[in-house]
Amino acid sequence: MRISKAALLVVIALTVPILVELRTVLAWVNVELTVLESAVLGMTMILAILIWALWPQNGRGDPSRSG
Amino acid sequence: MNVHTYEKIWLVAAMVLIVAFIATITYGSVGLGIAMVGDQQPTIEPTELGDDERFGEPRVEQVGENEYEAYVVAQTFSYQPDPIEVPEDSQVTFYVTARDVIHSFSIAGTNVNTMAIPGEIAEMTVEFDEAGEYGIVCNEYCGPDHHNMEGKLHVVSADEFDLTDLSADGPDEVAVGDSVDVDVVVENRQLEDLETTVTLEIGDETVSEEVTVPGGDAVETTLSVDSSALGEGDHDWTVTVDDHDSSGSVTVLEELDDDADGGEDDE
Amino acid sequence: MSNVYIDQFPAEAKVIRAAFYSSFLALALGGVFGIIQTLHRTDFLRFMDSVDYYTVLTAHGVFLVISFTIFFLVGIFTWAVTTSLDRGLEDIRFTWGWYSLMAIGITMTGVAILAGFTDAIDMSASVLFTFYAPLQAHPLFYLGLVLFVVGTWVAGVDWFRSWWAWKAENPDERIPLPTFMVLTTMLMWYIATLGVAAAILLFLLPWSLGLIETVNPLLTRTLFWFFGHPVVYFWLMPAYMMWYVMLPKFSGGKLFSDPLARVVFVLFLILSVPTGIHHQYLDPGIAEGFKFIAMTNTMFLLLPSLLTAFTVVASMEHGARQRGGEGYFGWLKALPWRDPVFTGMALAGLMFAAAGFSGMINAGMNINYLVHNTFWVVGHFHLTVGTAVALTFMAVTYWFLPQVTGKALWSRSVALGQVVVWFVGMTFMSNAMHRAGLLGVPRRTAEPQYEGFEFQAAVGSIGELDAQIALGGVLLTISLGMFFANVVGTALNGRSDDLPANEYAGALSGPDDAPLVLDNLKLWTAIAVVLVIFAYTFPLLSIIDRGGLFGPEVIPFPLTVESATTLGFALETAASTSFESAGEIATSALTAVMR
Repeated sequence: MRISKAALLVVIALTVPILVELRTVLAWVNVELTVLESAVLGMTMILAILIWALWPQNGRGDPSRSG
Repeated sequence: MNVHTYEKIWLVAAMVLIVAFIATITYGSVGLGIAMVGDQQPTIEPTELGDDERFGEPRVEQVGENEYEAYVVAQTFSYQPDPIEVPEDSQVTFYVTARDVIHSFSIAGTNVNTMAIPGEIAEMTVEFDEAGEYGIVCNEYCGPDHHNMEGKLHVVSADEFDLTDLSADGPDEVAVGDSVDVDVVVENRQLEDLETTVTLEIGDETVSEEVTVPGGDAVETTLSVDSSALGEGDHDWTVTVDDHDSSGSVTVLEELDDDADGGEDDE
Repeated sequence: MSNVYIDQFPAEAKVIRAAFYSSFLALALGGVFGIIQTLHRTDFLRFMDSVDYYTVLTAHGVFLVISFTIFFLVGIFTWAVTTSLDRGLEDIRFTWGWYSLMAIGITMTGVAILAGFTDAIDMSASVLFTFYAPLQAHPLFYLGLVLFVVGTWVAGVDWFRSWWAWKAENPDERIPLPTFMVLTTMLMWYIATLGVAAAILLFLLPWSLGLIETVNPLLTRTLFWFFGHPVVYFWLMPAYMMWYVMLPKFSGGKLFSDPLARVVFVLFLILSVPTGIHHQYLDPGIAEGFKFIAMTNTMFLLLPSLLTAFTVVASMEHGARQRGGEGYFGWLKALPWRDPVFTGMALAGLMFAAAGFSGMINAGMNINYLVHNTFWVVGHFHLTVGTAVALTFMAVTYWFLPQVTGKALWSRSVALGQVVVWFVGMTFMSNAMHRAGLLGVPRRTAEPQYEGFEFQAAVGSIGELDAQIALGGVLLTISLGMFFANVVGTALNGRSDDLPANEYAGALSGPDDAPLVLDNLKLWTAIAVVLVIFAYTFPLLSIIDRGGLFGPEVIPFPLTVESATTLGFALETAASTSFESAGEIATSALTAVMR
């Protein structure tokens, strides 16, 4: 774990405002995402964050730092 | 007092931001002339709107070449007039007041938005460049049917727009052989003269007359059809001027009853 | 003897508990009405008549922004004064006295509102939180509000008494920061509530009792906003206090600067009241110049909030570095995210930053025309009072509840989940509200669908916005459920000996760095009064001069059969029939409207 479980929860929560605002901002440059596309994008972001967070740090995976 | 350097920088930046906000708003009011709803108008008695010159008959009026004034009354749970019709490429000054409680006059999706307070008159000038249809909503809670309080604003092309009022009046009954006389009043509330045709259609008969109505004035005329051409029975008639029409019906009898004397049409 | 609050001040802890539980009861009621109206408005679930929507809305507003917030804050103000002066209240019977006044008052108001649901009682108060005349509520509604506000005044006296007694014993000491915050906030509150007291006692209450015939709608409305804007700071100041004196402690460090915290509260005392007219930018009958003055004051009010943003973040960073955090942004990882108290407050602060931006739009005198009274405004204040204040209050509850009950928190994990779910739910709901507002969708309406036209969505559709709002509302309700589970679970726990001590954060730059003049409450109050006189005398005189003290003749509009006359007027010009028959039509129309 690169960050604690609680911090991971907060980071995932923060993707929600980024996602809903991104959809509005993209519309200004004429990229209109549907709800489904936004949801898929959100899932991808969360997946990426999970992979980043769970990937062992430079091989020295330190399970004791969770919680 | 000991203030950290970063905090000093932040403090200065915050003040600059605030002053910049005030400056842009001041520029908007003074430089661009974005007028606010203010206290330009006198107060008015809400219970005496009916006798008021402007609000007694809520309407749109032409006051200059492309300038109009709209007198609007907001009340539970509607607007008068409804719909409000104005031409494109025009400048319209709205005067809005409320008859009972506080309402708003808000054209959805635009920045045309004001409170309508009983006793006060809001004044607001708006430019309409393009034809279109807008919804007017009341966005101030005004009672149990607040959600149904809506109006419409039609911005129409210059050729479609007029401020013409038509009224027509004809007899209820006529005897065969007499003429059916329909009295027509055409009112022109625009500043320019109105040259148009008044047409009466009744049964298969059509008569028309060219009229010129001076700006801000009305013209009366009478269109007549010989009832023998119609024959006995009920006949509907319609008077048309441009897009406006007015209709009624007449009964052609073999002979009139003695006590009926031509009859008044009171719809 | 442990260092938990209930052991230090058992009698005061009992009062605070009572205030908290009153506050939570209001929160529960307000939450239930919240989800009912969310689902009704977005047309997902409509089980009541739209007429009742406005009763639900009044209840949602009054219970949440009056009872929930104010009951909670009298609790933490009592805590702040007793803890920071380290002395109990002067007379606990006096304290119970003001608590009872508040409780009786809000019960009267609540009964008047809730009676609107049934025809069996001839009483209603569906006038919303703003109670603009000529909408008229039952006298009980106004009377209850008066008692409640008087209760808060007496509470302020209670805290001042503590301070005076402490000062007599400690003449040379600086006022401890939490007490300073309480006193400045209360001074602001005394000035602010004069407006609503005048509106109710001089006009609305006599009018609803039939003692006077008419009121001036613009005057009572202006007096309402004299109170209506500063009241938001009355909710916000306790949240700020928590960010200043508690958040640094939970972050593991100290408050960055005690003097600047004092400056911020002084600025709020001075600038909160002379801004109310910015809620009336669109009101005819108030000159543009007066609106401009209110706008300028409002913009300067951004300063204390921007200073707070700096201090809060700086204190958090200091705490994180104390905990071993490193790097430009790496320190964020070292913050105690596992702690629901910290995480809830941090998320609330973050949302308050977003609310600041939409607030600047609202304050902009001319751009306000686009958003005034639209759903945008609802989105804005669900970020401020609905998150910055409410989420902070809920988060600190997880620390205060053990302090005043002596019982351990039922579940820290549920608590953490609760604050995160609130954040996510409010993100969905508030974003969609802001966007719908830009399209012109009005606030305060049961059915924002109209027959004659449709709103044009810029992104997605109106249906999607509604769905997003409903989703947010459901998440918020779930979050409330988790909160109450924790409150009840904690109450059912046994006494714990393993609770953190009752203390607040120290400061890196302490009170000794603050100029003495900051503690001169008389001076700041005098300046505040002068500014209020400057901002309000001329508008009020002008309104009275134009419309008269009691206004023009307007038919009052309670939701009773009498209002048929009003509708009669409405139809007078529309129907070309005589007035009598118009009245009959109106009566039948009204009966239809009222079921």
